[in-house]
Formats: sequence, structure tokens, C-alpha cells
Amino acid sequence: VVDQIRLWQLENERMRTTPGFLFKDFDTYDEYQALSSYAEEIGVLEWKSDKKVMFFVSKYEQLRDFLKSRKSSK
Amino acid sequence: MPRAIRGVLIECEPAIKSIIVHLDSANNDIIIEDLDESHLVVKENMVHLLKQKLEDRLKETYRPEEPLADSE
Repeated sequence: VVDQIRLWQLENERMRTTPGFLFKDFDTYDEYQALSSYAEEIGVLEWKSDKKVMFFVSKYEQLRDFLKSRKSSK
Repeated sequence: MPRAIRGVLIECEPAIKSIIVHLDSANNDIIIEDLDESHLVVKENMVHLLKQKLEDRLKETYRPEEPLADSE
């Protein structure tokens, strides 16, 4: 049992898991930037890479609405 | 239109990440996207299995300590 606990601790220290959504395949870099900064603003951004033009968020709904309103305002 | 893919973000040290990449290489059924040296996105339903397999790996690594406990 002690071994189990130690392993469990090790694993938790070494690995952090966050469920959510990976956003990729943006039409334009502008779209990526607008959406990722909005995600950061509302505090759901977990990871991003300007180089890969991808980001990961813990929540999706607000981004979907943001994307919709962006599209319709064009 | 960008795509939003459901998954689990894993943040870990590069050594752990390379174990995960190795586990995935057998069937390519774990990793959705390899992000950088310490991040990757995996399938939600594989996280439990992944943790189990990692635990097995870590057990293997720590086995050399066991004989010490028995020796006296």
C-alpha cells in the first residue's frame, strides 16, 4: 500500500492532466490570435503555441459564441 | 473555420513524455497531438489506461529498491 501511495504521488507530481479542447486549423493567423487572446482574457487558456498556431482551452462554449459573433460581424 | 478537438492536455517532464510517446507508437491510439517537449493532448478515454501503464513503468524503475527492504 505504501508503494501504491508513493507511485501515486510521483505520478501526480510528474503529470498534470486538464480536460478540454485543442483548437487548430485556423484559416488565418489573425483568427488564431483573436481567439487565443480572448481565451486568455476569460481565463480558459491552458497552453498555446504561436509557432504551431494551436491552443488548448479548458472550456469551449464562450469561444464558440465569440467565434460566431466574429463571423457574423464581418 | 478552426477545429476544436476534445481531449486531455498532459503536462509532464520530458522523460515521462517520451514514455507516453513510446506507448503510443505501438498502435497510435493514445496521442491526439504532440505539442512540445513537455505537453501533449491525448484521447480522453485513454487517460486511465495511460496512468496505469505509467505506473507499471515506474514500478519497474523502482524494483531495484525492493531487495534492500528484505535484506535484514
